[in-house]
Amino acid sequence: MKHVLAISALIFCLGIFLASFISVPFWLIYVLGVAFLLIAFSSIKNQAIFNTALFFLILILGAVYFANSLILPSCHISNIKYRTGAPCTIRGVIINQPQLATGKTAFILAAKQVQSNNLNRTCCGNILVSLKTRKNLRYGEELILEGSPDKNSSKGYSAYLSRQGIDLVLGVKNEAFIVRLDRNRGFLLKKSAFLLKQKIEKIFSQYLTPASAGILEAMVLGKKDNVPRLIYDSMVKTGTVHILVVSGFNTGLVSFIFLLFLKLLRLPRRARFVIVIPILLFYCLMTGASNPVMRATIMAMFFIAAHLIKREPDIYNSIALAALFILILNPRQLFDAGFQLSFASVLAIICLYPRLRRFCGAGKLQHSLLRYPVEACLVSFSAWIGTMGFIAFYFKTFSPITVIANIFVVPMATLITLCGFSLVLASLIFPPAVPFFANSIELAAAALIKCSTIMANLPYACFYL
Amino acid sequence: MFGLTKDERMVILFLLSVALAGAGADFLAKIYSPSKTVAGFTQEIGKVDLNKADKSLLMSVPGIGEKLAQRIIEYRDREKGFCRVEELKNIKGITGYRFEKIKDFLKAR
Repeated sequence: MKHVLAISALIFCLGIFLASFISVPFWLIYVLGVAFLLIAFSSIKNQAIFNTALFFLILILGAVYFANSLILPSCHISNIKYRTGAPCTIRGVIINQPQLATGKTAFILAAKQVQSNNLNRTCCGNILVSLKTRKNLRYGEELILEGSPDKNSSKGYSAYLSRQGIDLVLGVKNEAFIVRLDRNRGFLLKKSAFLLKQKIEKIFSQYLTPASAGILEAMVLGKKDNVPRLIYDSMVKTGTVHILVVSGFNTGLVSFIFLLFLKLLRLPRRARFVIVIPILLFYCLMTGASNPVMRATIMAMFFIAAHLIKREPDIYNSIALAALFILILNPRQLFDAGFQLSFASVLAIICLYPRLRRFCGAGKLQHSLLRYPVEACLVSFSAWIGTMGFIAFYFKTFSPITVIANIFVVPMATLITLCGFSLVLASLIFPPAVPFFANSIELAAAALIKCSTIMANLPYACFYL
Repeated sequence: MFGLTKDERMVILFLLSVALAGAGADFLAKIYSPSKTVAGFTQEIGKVDLNKADKSLLMSVPGIGEKLAQRIIEYRDREKGFCRVEELKNIKGITGYRFEKIKDFLKAR
């Protein structure tokens, strides 16, 4: 059987989906799982019984992981009772890169101790801290802070945060309510990734105008905070906002650039692949390891590993492995819009594009100048078909302009991203070359903004459902 | 449906056993992770550091306005910092009454 992983991932997802509807105690599902495991072991020589037992075992495993993800330890921060309006003091470590917005700093704190209602206790769990001033904090800093639990978040936002493993939002008045203890907690690799990210942000803001730097930061580093609102809205309307998210497209470009660079150094093929794997992992960490970039990194590593052991890579198995990896870590991601959109678009491209290409006879076109636009149009159309339902459901919009907009926007985004990476390399290796890349980015970014705005303002470009 | 060889079946069952055991262990770890009472960890939280605070942060203290915050910063720059909160009394506009009102919100480290 060629697609064993793909089938297993589908059954695992089905288990999670069913468990989200049925409320059964964890131990009961677990006992069922053990029973099917024993049946599978005892019928290892009988293919029919083994396959049935294996099907139910994977299904139940999905349910077990989902049920387990809903159980919070008794010391969890969300289980602690707070007096309404009374502040609580928390000691913990910052586990992401703090985001600075106008007059605000937001970060995630892994709580260790809590002081509330005159009681000091050990605790666990992640808290989203919203500090009402700008403060330069870093990943890995240990802090003591005092704030009030925010109970005013909307139901949808709370559910979204809960899926991300955050069960409490804490508002901190100003920096006087924060005491910095130790700045050297956290993983060294992650810390270095965030330091490099900051350095790259500095390079972008040094050589580019704010609008271009904002767009480039989103495309290369996955940081959308500095993208001008008007540009962002026009991209949402035209369905091209995916270029502002770090995804498989960016991971592919990173692999391409480094493989090309290593090829120029005349390194053997195997060595090039071995070097690119840690680079991709580092890039994944640097961009915050969101679902799309994690999926793309795992898929890329799967392909590279297949090449290294001289096996034919199977794209369905690679995408299934990525899904299983994300879902085993956090089964609730199955219900996350980002997860669904990322996997739906890739699956649609994998399944639909080759059929559409055959149907339209795009492969028979002799001239590459004609073939490439047709193929690009078909890829964009496949992704649009795959994500249309999810976009209509979550964002209540329908954009018929998406396919055409992507044909123009994606090449420009590719050029901007390539020039962005080149700008970073040039600023480190050969600074006199920087203006050439900076000017190209400015030009392409201006064209991208113009194109996106014109498309968004066309009649019937976007419908609100 | 899966079409696996006997060796592949063994490997898959081993992996699934590990996954199932891992979920069980994680569940038990969650159940037996009681919250322990510990000693209080801070007394200084919420206090504005006179040696580090900028004007807006000083103004967040009830009883300190824009002019007084400016005078505190000027004094800090002139005297190269505060050693004790009591030094605030040397600043024009900070009377004994006002000092009593603001001293609990401030610290000098």
